[in-house]
Formats: sequence, C-alpha cells, structure tokens
Amino acid sequence: MRGLRRRELWAGLAFVSPWVVGLGVFLIYPIVASLYYSFCDYSVLERARPIGLANYIDLAKDSVFWKSLFNTLFYAALAVPLGLGLALALALLLNSGVRGLTVYRTIFFLPALMPMVALAVLWLWIFNGEYGVLNVALARLGIHAPAWLTDPAWSKPALVLLSMWGVGQAMVIFLAGLQDVPEHLYEAADLDGASWWDKIRHVTLPMISPVILFNGIMGIIGSLQFFAIPYIMTPNGQPARSAYFYAMYLYDNAFLYLRMGYASAMAWILFILIFCLTLVSLRLAARYVHYEAAP
Amino acid sequence: MRAKGPLSHTALHMILLGGSFLFLFPLFWMLSTSLKPIEETMLTPPQWIPSALHFDNYLKAVTHGSEILGYIPFLEYGKNTLLLCALGVVGTVISNALIAYGFARLRWPGRNIFFGITLATMMIPFPVLMVPMFVLFRELGWVGTFRPLWIPAWFGSAFNIFLLRQFFLTIPRELSDAAVVDGCSEFQVFRHVILPLSRPALSVVALFYFLFTWNDFLGPLIYLTDQRMFTLSLGLQFYQSQHGGTEWHLLMAAATIVVLPIIVLFFFTQRTFIQGIALTGMKG
Amino acid sequence: MLNRALRIVGLVLLAALMYVGFTRQPGPAAEDGKIHISYWEKWTGFEGEAMRAVVEEFNRRQDRIHVDMLTISQVDNKLLLSTAGGVPPDVVGLWNSNLSSFADKKVLLPLDDYLERAGISREDYIPAYYDLCEYEGVMYALPSAPASHGLHWNKRLFRETGLDPERPPRTMEELDAYSERLTKRDESGHLILMGFLPTEPGWWNWAWGCYFGGRLWNGEDTITIDSPANVRGYEWVESYAERYGVTSLQLFQSGFGNFSSPQNAFLSGKVAMVLQGVWMSNFIDKYAPGMEWGAAPFPYPADSPELAEVASVEADVLCIPVGARHREEAFEFIRFVNSQEGMELLCMGQGKHTPLAEVSEEFLAEHPNPYIEVFIDVAKRSRTFSNPKTPLWSEYLSEMNAAFDEIWLGEASAEEALGRVRARVQQKLDRHLEQKALREERP
Repeated sequence: MRGLRRRELWAGLAFVSPWVVGLGVFLIYPIVASLYYSFCDYSVLERARPIGLANYIDLAKDSVFWKSLFNTLFYAALAVPLGLGLALALALLLNSGVRGLTVYRTIFFLPALMPMVALAVLWLWIFNGEYGVLNVALARLGIHAPAWLTDPAWSKPALVLLSMWGVGQAMVIFLAGLQDVPEHLYEAADLDGASWWDKIRHVTLPMISPVILFNGIMGIIGSLQFFAIPYIMTPNGQPARSAYFYAMYLYDNAFLYLRMGYASAMAWILFILIFCLTLVSLRLAARYVHYEAAP
Repeated sequence: MRAKGPLSHTALHMILLGGSFLFLFPLFWMLSTSLKPIEETMLTPPQWIPSALHFDNYLKAVTHGSEILGYIPFLEYGKNTLLLCALGVVGTVISNALIAYGFARLRWPGRNIFFGITLATMMIPFPVLMVPMFVLFRELGWVGTFRPLWIPAWFGSAFNIFLLRQFFLTIPRELSDAAVVDGCSEFQVFRHVILPLSRPALSVVALFYFLFTWNDFLGPLIYLTDQRMFTLSLGLQFYQSQHGGTEWHLLMAAATIVVLPIIVLFFFTQRTFIQGIALTGMKG
Repeated sequence: MLNRALRIVGLVLLAALMYVGFTRQPGPAAEDGKIHISYWEKWTGFEGEAMRAVVEEFNRRQDRIHVDMLTISQVDNKLLLSTAGGVPPDVVGLWNSNLSSFADKKVLLPLDDYLERAGISREDYIPAYYDLCEYEGVMYALPSAPASHGLHWNKRLFRETGLDPERPPRTMEELDAYSERLTKRDESGHLILMGFLPTEPGWWNWAWGCYFGGRLWNGEDTITIDSPANVRGYEWVESYAERYGVTSLQLFQSGFGNFSSPQNAFLSGKVAMVLQGVWMSNFIDKYAPGMEWGAAPFPYPADSPELAEVASVEADVLCIPVGARHREEAFEFIRFVNSQEGMELLCMGQGKHTPLAEVSEEFLAEHPNPYIEVFIDVAKRSRTFSNPKTPLWSEYLSEMNAAFDEIWLGEASAEEALGRVRARVQQKLDRHLEQKALREERP
C-alpha cells in the first residue's frame, strides 16, 4: 500500500505540475506584485519607487476615479437586475412546454456569442443619432428618442439596453435550472390550489435560487469589469465622461499615463469591492437560497 | 415547470415571436447594411432591404479596406486569430485535462488545500493581474509577439480545472481500478480510460476557449504592437473613422465576417454549447 | 493505421503552429542585408503620400538603411504602449503637443548629441519651430511638417456685402463689425450665414486668450489661465454667443457637414471668416475649387498694437523612442527629412511651408497655397505661441475644453470658469512638481 500511495503522490504532482506554474507565475505572482506596485510610483520605464499610501490617498481625491466608479456601479445596478429579470422571464416562457423550444433558445442565445467588438460597432450603428435604426423605429411609434450615445444622460442606459441583448447565456443556465425542478413539487402545489404566480413564488424561485445566486454573482463581477464595449462605443467615456467606466480609467492610467502603480491601486480596490459584494451575496444567499438535498 | 402559466399557447407564441424578432433584428440589420452601397446606408427613413445585393462590399472590406485608411489586411488578421485559437485550444485542453485528473482521480497529501486555493482564484478580476503580467512579459521580451496570447493557456486555468474535475469525478472508480490492476501506469489510465469517456466535457472546454480567443480584445490590445500581427477583433476597429465619415457598409461587412464563423460553429455544436453552459451554472 | 497517421500529421501540424506562434516577431524583416528601421506615422491620404515620397527617396539614395513606414492610427497612444512593452519603433511621428509629457516620462531619446555631431542648430530653422521641439532645455525631436494659423476669409461674400474683398479685418473690433455686417438671417430669424464663428472649427478653444496677450502658464509653477488678458479673450468669445444667441448658433451648427467635404462650413459659404491653418488651402482646392479666398494674420485688439500678427504655431515632429534598436540609422533618416531637399519635398506635398530658415525660390513659386508667405511670415515673428509645454497638457486641455463649453453655453462667466480651471490644474501642477522633486532626490 505504501508503494501505491507513493506512486499516487508522484503521479499527482506530475499531473498537476503545469498548474503549479500557471498558478504561481500567472496568478500568485501577479497578485503579490500588483499589491506591491500599488504602493509605488511605477512608470515601467523607470524602476518602481515605494511611496506608501500616496496612490490610495490620491485616488480618494481623484474626481475622475469617483466618476468612473459611480458610472460602473450605476451600470451594474441597472444591468444586473434587469438582465437577470429578462433572462429568467425568457427562461420561464421557454419552459412552459411551448413548441419550437430549441429554435427560440438558439435565437435568444445567439447574440451572447458575438465578439464584443462586432457587437459594439453594430450597436454604434444602431444607436447612431442621424441614421440609426433604433431612433427611426421609435419615431414611428411616436416616441421622440434621445441622442443615445451623444447625450450624457442616456449613454449609460444605452449600454444597459445593449447588455440586455446578451442575456442568452444567463437564460440558458436558468433554463437548465428550471428543468431540474422536481415535478412533484408543482403537483403538490396544484393540489393545494396554488395559482401560477404562487407556484412561481413558492416553488420555482426557491428551487432555482442557487442559479439566481450564481448568475447574480457572475453578472456583478462581469459588469464591474465592463471594458471592451465602452472602449469602442464611447471612447474616453464621451460625452463628458458619462460612460467612463472603472476598467477604462484603470487601463488609461496603466497604458496611457504610464502610472502603473496608480492603476494597480485601482485594481486592488476593485478586487476588494468584488470580494465584499460576493460576501454580501453569499450572506443574502444563506438567508434566501434554498438548496434541495440531493436526491 | 411544465405547468402552464397565465398565458395561452397563442399568447406565448406571440410574445416569443416578438422577442425573437427583437433579438434577431440587429443581426439582420448588420447583414442588410453590409450589402448596401454607401449612399443607401445613410437614407432616412432607412431602407430595410438593399436595392441590390452588394456582395462586393465584402471583397472591398477584405482586400481594399477603406479609401481613407488604405489596405486593411483583414484576411491576415483572420489567420492570426485562427493561429491563436488553435494553439490556445490545444494547450487548454491538454493542460487542464492533465491537471484536473491529478485533482480528481489521484489522492495525495495537500490535494484538497491546493484545490481550494484554485477555486479561490476564480474570483480574481483580470485588472489585478494585468499590470504585473505586462511587466513580466516585457522582461521576457514577449510583448509584441504572439506568445503572451497562447502560452499561458498551456498552464491551466482555474475555471477549466474545476469543470473537468467535476466531470472526472463522475467516472466510476471501478474502471480506473481495473486498469491499474491490469498494470497500467497512471498516465495510461488517464489516456486510455478517462480521456475517451470525457469527450463531451473536453469539447466544452475546447469550444469555450475557442470562443474566448476569437472574441478576445483586451489581450491583443495590450500585447500586439505591430499592426500586421493584429487579430480580427482589433482589426475591426480600423473600419471606424476617427473624424466622422465611417463607411458603415464596409464596417458591417467586416463585422459579419467576424461573426459568421462563430454562428456557423454554433450551429454544428449547439448541443455541446448548451450543455456546457448549463454545466457551468450547476454548482453555485 | 489511419489513426496513427492522423496523429502524426496532427502532431506535425501542431509543431508547425507552435513554431509560428513562438517565433513571429513584430517589426520589419531584414533579409536583404540592409538595416531595416520601422517608422510609425500618423498621416493618411495625400499627407501620407507626401511622406512616402520622402521615404522612398531616402531608401533610393543609399543602400545601407531601409525605412519601413507604417501608418498607425492613434500613434501617440500606440507609442506609449509599445515603449512600455519594450518594442518601440525606431522613428515615430508625433505632434508637438505630445513632447512635454512624453519627454517627462522618459519615453523619448534626447537628440542634443546627434544634433551637435550633425551640425544642426537653431539658426537653420525658423526659431518658433525649433523651439517647439525642446523641453527643459533638451531637444527631443526635429520638426517634420510645420503649421501656422491665420484668418481665412471668403472674398465673394465680402464683395456681396459691400466690403473690400482684398482688405481683411485687422483688429478685433473690425472683426466684430465685419461679422455683424456679413451675418444673415432668414425670415424666421434663423441664421443662414455667420460672419465669424469662434467655434468653427473649434480646434483651439484653449488659445483665445493668447490672441489678447494672455498666456496659459508661466513656464514654471503657476497656471495663469485666469489672468486679465485671458479673461478678456474669453469674454470676447462669450460676446459672440450672447450677441447671436446660443440656441440659434447650435441650430445653425448642427447643419454643418463633414470637415473634409464640400459641406464644410467655410467651404460652403456658411461662415465667412474662420481661423484656420496653412493646410486649409488643400481643402479648398479639393472640395471648393474656384473659391475666392484670402488669408491674413489673425486680428489683434485695437488697444494693443504690440499684439499684431500674433499667431499660433504647431508642428508634426519626428522622434526616436527610448529602446529603439537602430538609433543612429533612425537619426540619419530624420536628418534627411530635415534637409532642405527632403523638407521641401514633404511640405510641398502636404501644402505647408517648411520650418527651415532657408527656402528655395522654386518652392515659393510653385507652392499650391497662394498665401504661403503669410504663414511663413507670421511664423517668423517673435509673437508666436503654442500650447504650454507642461506634461499635464492633456489634463489641462480637457479642463479648458470643458470650461469653453461652459462659457459658450452661458453656464458660467468667463471669469468663473477660468478661475475653476486654474484652481484644478494648479493643484495637479503642484502635485506633479512635488513628485518630480522627490524623484530627483532619490535616483
């Protein structure tokens, strides 16, 4: 037995060895290094100079930092709940035994596959103030639409609208979760004379609450790192920095102003923010999420 | 929930059809714009269907680029993107399968702690890693080359390790035990027992990574400095003009070229895709 | 058997891909024994063609060095990224406004040694352009294509309004009066023609105070944007918004077409007088051939005749990034561009004047811009100004643009808006000087 154990140990380490490099070099080292850089003045062309908490203090005084943070939180606060809601609604619709499920599912999922750049330029075209299809359609309906991407008040809502288009992925996850809900629970509810709304509230939602939690956390983490789409659609956060997001300011600080220490401080603040939000979500989960014992 | 909601089947279909229209319309509009001559793209009210199908827009986009910017080597970009996808997919499948096997099918001290750490790293946002990795690659002299965009894939990723490990755990012990009794080394068990049974999961990993690389923007943005080595997502930007006067028909044609392979791929691998996504959501 | 064969093919293919993926390097290939240097430039269209002609001439004349010119969009951003990554080009074409911040970040190679060895000095140039390339006493670039600005006016519109088409306004007061006379409205009161519009083209909204004698920075530690002269300049701008009505003007401006098209505001006769650069003649020739126009130095306030012929100058410049692999060769190319021959070839093709002190008769005679001498003359004056050489320029600029919007839209008075800019930029400047001092004491 000893020999077998030995063998498994060596084999285990051998199999896992690429990950030792992957974890150590591409994860652990960067985390530690970025923490160090966040306490330095570092332009990458000169050596890093430790300056204590100066970066963090400057961030606290930096109005652009706060603006980008506000923009990002605003976007997340809209995009995540609305996205989840839409994804869930679509999943519920698809799950009610309608014919052509696979076709509809494909249609709703397709946009989520698109490369972000293609998506961004397409919607730039659709949101265009002069020739954009969206405003024309809205005008037909008698709605005088704003100039979306050139109006500071509407640039973020436009991006939220855009993210709605990509809920296909969350929808598929919801669908899978819905299909796992045991039938007998619904039958029991029917016997109790529950209406469809009651069934949703008391059977469906609790049963898929782990999925809601998962999609929610993923959604939060994703939306806080929103970068490629605004980089192309609203470069520099125009108009008037209304669409200047956290990850964009971080990128600009690192590669445009060559203030890598400052950017690293921003990165760590983001990390802590995500960590806290995840903890909060898990806390809420403990209260609301219901895990059915495995059958 | 097979139980019927408050909606009749017809109402349901109406809503779903309406939704489908809304979801598909942008793609249709992209295609339609790509087939128009430039004058028609700027008509108000917009013309829904092009008067004639200008497939030559595609040729123009790929060979001539724009009049303002000159030649955009879009096909070259396609080749670069495919290169990175191929190398990345192979690397990610091989490395993650090996690593996940080490976690799932072998027992060794410290394994669980190590796995726990692996799980924890899934929460790390990319910006935290971005600057030090850039510095690391700069010191190695890898900035400007393709290397940072595919070599890291050969060293595993927490998410894929997790996914494959879950899958490997579901394979019955008896099969691997029998092979061991027959005198197989661990690697042979891996290769001849586990791998063949894991095709669905491995396909998911491969597919997802292909999609990720094809769509990747930030990576090429940071690491590629020579325009001739750009990928499709970077190259697409060139069709945008900075001083107004974007040639929308060419931009949409180029965008369609970038999107089409993915859609085609999806149609052939739908089931794997959907399964894979469902898998990711399964364990909270 | 087939399986085996497939596997081998697969492995070979993989090996080949890995080889390509590993060995592909950025930058030009060097198979023919020459030293290849990479040159990143921003120009497209005819301006790019003009430079390509110079590059080809250089490549043709000697066979030691071959210059590979690449047109790069957002060349300044890309330069930062590639220098940070350790793979910069050998020569890069930037804007003079980039120099202070790039030099400060140590992205560019100081060129003083090269200049001395080549025997190039300030006397060889129109001083204003040579000075643009210098930061804190060190030269970081040489000019490629210079530009000065002046007032352009539409002679036909002058004639139709009864003004002498050969006599442009000389003072600000005359400019205002001419503008009143030229401006036309239709029956419903909408503007159809503006005499002068400060927001067209709106590229130098930071500069208005300078025409009144103001400066943005004292060169060291004080931001001076709210000095009386500057305030006076922006109050003058404000007067246009007030007199003609902001909403009226916005409506009018929304009908302007693309700059590079016949629907350009000035080219289509919607605005009779504009502040523009030496390149304007190219656009006129291309999009409004046959237009009767004139160019002259921009007006000055009547009570300050010492400000006559004040002009703004700028230039495209050539630099060598830190980390460039072929510095000597890079400088040889830059030197060729700056020779009288190279420069005249380039500037003739771009429709600009040259930054050199000496210019040939043929250049002046054959130049497509009939008013080229106006632009040369104002550049030679000692009253030129350009954007302040502070590394904080891009932040300063965005503050100025935001303030200009506030002033123009009537949301704040000139004094308030400029005061705010001063406070904010001063704070950044103080911080920057602090950190610089710290950096200098520990190397």
